[in-house]
Amino acid sequence: MGRHYLAIEQAYRDGTPTAWATSGTSVEMLYTFDVQPILPENAATISAAQKVSKKYIESAEDLGFSYDLCSYFKTNVGAMLNNAPIDLGGIKPPTFMVAADVICDTHVKWFQVQSQRYKVPLYIIDVPHVTSNTTNKQKEYYQSYVEEQMLELMDWISEITKKEYNEEKSREVITNSYELSEYWIKIFELRKTIPCPVSTKDTFGGIFPLFTMPGLKEPIRVFKKMYQETQERVDNGIGALENEQFRLLFSGIPFWYNLKFFGILEQWGAIIVFEPYTYSFGKFLDPSMSKEYIINNPIKAMAKIMLSFWYIYDLETRVREFKRVIKEWKIDGLILHNNLSCRPNSCGLYDLKQRLMEEEGIPSLVIESDMNDPRKMNEEQLKNKLESFMEILQKSKKR
Amino acid sequence: MAYKIGYIDPSFNTPEELIMAANLIPYRIFGDPTIDLMDANKFVPPNHCFWARNCLQRGLNGLDKEIKGIIITHACDCSNREYDIWFEHVSYDFYYYLNAPLKRDKLSLKFFINDLKELKFQLEEHFGVEITDKKLYEAINLTNEIRKLLKKISEYRNKGLLLGSEFHAIIKNAYKSDKKDVLHNLKEKLKKLEIKEPLPYVDGSKKRILLTGSILDDTEILKYLESLGFEIITDDLCIGTRYFHNKIEITGDPIKDIANFHLSKPPYSTEHPSSGRFDFIKGLAKKYQVQGVICLVQKFCEPLLYEYPFFRDSFKEMGMPFIFLEKEYKRDSYNQLTTKFEAFKEILGGVKK
Ligand code: SF4
Ligand code: SF4
Repeated sequence: MGRHYLAIEQAYRDGTPTAWATSGTSVEMLYTFDVQPILPENAATISAAQKVSKKYIESAEDLGFSYDLCSYFKTNVGAMLNNAPIDLGGIKPPTFMVAADVICDTHVKWFQVQSQRYKVPLYIIDVPHVTSNTTNKQKEYYQSYVEEQMLELMDWISEITKKEYNEEKSREVITNSYELSEYWIKIFELRKTIPCPVSTKDTFGGIFPLFTMPGLKEPIRVFKKMYQETQERVDNGIGALENEQFRLLFSGIPFWYNLKFFGILEQWGAIIVFEPYTYSFGKFLDPSMSKEYIINNPIKAMAKIMLSFWYIYDLETRVREFKRVIKEWKIDGLILHNNLSCRPNSCGLYDLKQRLMEEEGIPSLVIESDMNDPRKMNEEQLKNKLESFMEILQKSKKR
Repeated sequence: MAYKIGYIDPSFNTPEELIMAANLIPYRIFGDPTIDLMDANKFVPPNHCFWARNCLQRGLNGLDKEIKGIIITHACDCSNREYDIWFEHVSYDFYYYLNAPLKRDKLSLKFFINDLKELKFQLEEHFGVEITDKKLYEAINLTNEIRKLLKKISEYRNKGLLLGSEFHAIIKNAYKSDKKDVLHNLKEKLKKLEIKEPLPYVDGSKKRILLTGSILDDTEILKYLESLGFEIITDDLCIGTRYFHNKIEITGDPIKDIANFHLSKPPYSTEHPSSGRFDFIKGLAKKYQVQGVICLVQKFCEPLLYEYPFFRDSFKEMGMPFIFLEKEYKRDSYNQLTTKFEAFKEILGGVKK
């Protein structure tokens, strides 16, 4: 991660173009133009890990932003107001901004607010929503719409950066991104092993290059090493937890200010072996996106990624995919984070819980909290809830 | 019996004319702030806006028998995500998610046309009808006529002859009823207004305001404002000005004309760029010389909550008194806002009229 922030600092020093991007937008397009991407969400997690997000969130609220708005957004607003240093999640106004409504409205509103405030040009990618009954025919014209916008974005960036689009570079970037994701997914495949070789500490800690550096070579080396080490652990039967009893799935964004909370699971011999959130950033998950396809169609692939993002699957597909994961990763129970910041994330959780129980007999626990706002986490209550949930799991496993 | 298509639209981007040309009645689904939300709460997490949740509850309770299908139109995360919940729990044979675009440029227009064509195709297939250009233009002429009348009638708010709440009820009705009846009723209403004397309530003590915010579909909230001494002269709401401000320009390609109409209406906070919304409100406020702007927002309505500081600062710069209040979607809670409104009235001070 250090590398990424050093690159950002370097870009500001050299006066080369920088861009803020929301997660889910095509960071690959930015790397194609040698624009340094900056992901405010990622910076916000640093503020949380450094225990300053609350202060920044409150600054944003003093400005008039509601208690109920996304805490990533407010952390970013507050960090800017407080001139936060880079190691506390501070970032500077960029050359331009790119956001999309692929994951949430917040992304669009957030960048509208900040681009207006800092007088920075903004491009919005409008990504149609795929729902439980979207047909293939509809998906085709959705795809063309996003593709056309990618071409428009290309021209827009080209004009700002005074640089021509380079197809070769684009292929190189998308291939790097693909290889990075490939290792990530391979690591996930290895997590199917009992005992699970990699814990959630490693995935939540290791995911950041997928947000910020898909397109570069260096992170591929890091991920390759991580993969090889994981493979070794599997070969030697070493689990991340000594005595693995329960395998869990955690859905949602974790509480970045209190990642150690998950340590509590160890006392029951429970380990999180799958997180849809981290998995979804291994984004070439649509089976039609082979390596050959993406190399030959880099722009189409960038568009396709946005339309087939695991994270925003419609309810039907989500239920289907969760069932697959439960089976393949041998999941005993689910913890579903009803994130108070995040409407798209929390909607549908109750249905998911109910259907997985009814159709697969897998219990879920819904917990309420927030990924960046420690005021919204009641640790005692969470512990109690988890305790009761683990009791249920223990009983059902004995049977 | 004429069948209806119920649609949920937090802004207003649903092509009523397309539904009409399929021999169906477009019926906009509104919430009901008097019902209990027990069932909807089982499906929708607590941090979602209560308006969308309320509409879901209405669906779960069972809608009018004549409704034969549901369209939900893209606007915000709440309505988007709840589509799948409707699809799962409220049983209809016809469901369409209309991806009304976020932007308002050439590419979005092209996309919107494609999505409208798909809706046309699915309506035709499902209901066994043919939607011809002729039928589309008949529907367009009818809604254009309605918009023209509504525009005329809306002006009577400024003449002290029509209460804002009365006008609100008229538009709500226009959204729900057979458009031929709507046209007839509007003509009658206009005739009456044309010979009407000013109402006695124009006593100078009322405060002339512009009403804006998230969807405000309970006429009672407007009556409540009136009871506090506010006179709603104008608005930029979808159950209001945004419904009739523009007309559909006829070029010979009806689907394109409908798409164009929606993308050139005054913008809502869920669209991009949304800063035009302030400009539009500012224009109305000046034109109608209102004394203040009231922005009423549904609790948890993110698109509006993000706009607040910008609205506040921009109205301040303009020298226009402005109040922004979040409200619950429960009728018996409106009174809780009284102190704040009383204070706002004080700020408005002297009377202009
Ligand atoms: S937490 Fe949710 S609302 Fe906030 S930026 Fe992420 S996806 Fe959007
Ligand atoms: S009130 Fe706001 S959040 Fe609710 S449906 Fe309307 S725009 Fe969406």
